[in-house]
Amino acid sequence: MKAYFLNLYRGFRSIIKGMILTLIVAFRPKATIQYPFVKRELPARTRGRLFCNIDDCIGCKLCAVACPVDCIYITANKRGPEEAIPLTSAESGAKQKKFHLPQFDIDFTLCCWCGLCTVVCPTNCLYMTKEYEFSVGNQQDLIWQFGEGQKPGPKQSIK
Amino acid sequence: MDNKTIYEKLKQKFQDAIGALKEPPAGSHGDPFIEVSAEKIHSILKFLKEEPELLFDNLLCISGVDYPDRLEVVYHFHSYTHLHKVVLKALLTDKTKPEIDTVSDLWKGANWLEREIYDLFGITFKNHPDLRRILLPDDWEGYPLRKDYKHQDYWHGIKVGM
Amino acid sequence: MGALKTQELTINMGPQHPSTHGVLRIELVTDGEICVKAIPHIGYLHRCFEKHAENIDYMGVMPFVDRMDYVASMNNDIAYAMAVEKLLGVEIPKRAEYIRVIMAELNRIASHLLAVGTYGLDIGTFTPFMWAFRDREKILDIFEMASGARLLYNYLWIGGVWMDLTPGIEEKIKEFCDYFSPCIDELDTILSYNQIFINRTKNVGVIPLETAISYGLTGPNLRGSGKKWDLRKNEPYGIYPELEFDIPIGTGEMGTVGACWDRYMVRIREMRESLKLTKQALKQMPEGPIRAKMQRVRPLAGEAYVKIENPRGELGFYIVSDGSIKPYRVKGKSPCFTSISCLDEICQGAMIADVVAVIGSLDIVLGEVDR
Repeated sequence: MKAYFLNLYRGFRSIIKGMILTLIVAFRPKATIQYPFVKRELPARTRGRLFCNIDDCIGCKLCAVACPVDCIYITANKRGPEEAIPLTSAESGAKQKKFHLPQFDIDFTLCCWCGLCTVVCPTNCLYMTKEYEFSVGNQQDLIWQFGEGQKPGPKQSIK
Repeated sequence: MDNKTIYEKLKQKFQDAIGALKEPPAGSHGDPFIEVSAEKIHSILKFLKEEPELLFDNLLCISGVDYPDRLEVVYHFHSYTHLHKVVLKALLTDKTKPEIDTVSDLWKGANWLEREIYDLFGITFKNHPDLRRILLPDDWEGYPLRKDYKHQDYWHGIKVGM
Repeated sequence: MGALKTQELTINMGPQHPSTHGVLRIELVTDGEICVKAIPHIGYLHRCFEKHAENIDYMGVMPFVDRMDYVASMNNDIAYAMAVEKLLGVEIPKRAEYIRVIMAELNRIASHLLAVGTYGLDIGTFTPFMWAFRDREKILDIFEMASGARLLYNYLWIGGVWMDLTPGIEEKIKEFCDYFSPCIDELDTILSYNQIFINRTKNVGVIPLETAISYGLTGPNLRGSGKKWDLRKNEPYGIYPELEFDIPIGTGEMGTVGACWDRYMVRIREMRESLKLTKQALKQMPEGPIRAKMQRVRPLAGEAYVKIENPRGELGFYIVSDGSIKPYRVKGKSPCFTSISCLDEICQGAMIADVVAVIGSLDIVLGEVDR
């Protein structure tokens, strides 16, 4: 009997204590932001959507090898013997572009944003942008093309 | 107690049932292990658990490994009392119908670990109280962690794989 | 009127049940409101981690390791990296060790916050959940600054860490440490010592020490049963021997030792210890390189088993190498797998509502159970 009332008393006491604390916390600054209207500033290292600057790519395929889920597809055709070999830009080390790169596709349905492909890139032409809102209506729109002469963006779905 | 003393103690008790104490090859940094006979595994592990000088009360892990010519069941033990560790390996040369005794009556935690190995390697644990598939569906075909595993094409009309 | 015929009723809990913390199905055999048997069925989240790992090089396994226990990725990474480093025989630089400890301890706090918050939610109180996630968010911000990702970091690499700490992050961590200490007191007031919460969790789901050891329970679940065992102290790795901290254990302050409340309280107290560790590591951190100099990751043939203290217990990795660039076999021995295996034994004779309390107190993450 005594234990019952003691329990009751303790229950009420802890509720009142909790309520007082909640009241105090209610007057603190808000921790939330109104997401689609207000956006957080992302830190410099944010790992968002991959982007490939194809002008600097030398077609070494190191990224495709490093990718643990095999989501990068590259076609590299060797240039003919008479063709002039262009160089990549100066800040990427002015390396020889020995290959035509008609296809450089990334399948973002598979990509796991681990960033291993960006580390191995010798010319730093493959990097991660801060973009993180990927939702599309069609799954095909998540396969992006970056190949030579192509506009970086969703590959047209083949019907 | 170090691995060598444990090995000698086991050898003294079980003689032929204990194989060699394999140290890692020179330059390698792995763990040493003791090879034991799969037939007597239950009495060996019972001895490990109950002998006052060994008292391996903590079963860390049971794992299966598939090699081209054999299957292995690897036991990792640790003792809370004496703070020593040992690695035991039971070799199963018959790959078509591998069988080994269960130790789930000694360590209750072995129950699920053995079910997992049964599920993924197809090793049957004799006298196991509840030997069912654990991670995969009950009617799955084949044992995925075998190196020669080929997954089935369809499961209940669902395409398997990419 | 003759006696009424009674029979046991089997009901299905999950896989889509909010209190099972993922996709876990429990087959409950009930007699009235008493649970006679609770048979867990797992495997709904099986992603073939071990099979995948056999087909990728050592470095590429790391993102998959992240996805095992997705609320404590940093700790998982350490376990895997340490196992490969043991096979390789590399020593990692001091600074990398310190960064690892800071990240691991912060992630331990984040993981315990999730455990504590959702446990409150299971029991029926909503506010602590919100507060826990508010504070967890601050830790995730720190991780995002360091690694660029918020949940699956892939930040700790074999041989060290990926990138050095960002400038300004140390102040942010310090700021967080100062901010967070009073928050634990608030959690104590609103949840831990709330009489309703105590009544729901004391004497419920008691795991005696022998049962815990026989099942191989580790981490807070073992310490809740009163065993003073922590790998950071008892088999120290990394730089833990240089740091000072205590191991909280379940004392039976409320009811029986090894009840849900004890396991819960161990987590709360561990957060304070983790804060202590973070502060010390931050203070002592030396300058220097962050990755060991090594060629391609290609260990010699051999095998190694390494276990470390994860927020949920001892996570072990058993790696067999055959000398190639891909591991021959990777086995992850997850603590949650063993925790959930003892559910049947501790739920026998409990009320159905207490089954929820027991699952929550075991703090399972199904990603790690199923791998």
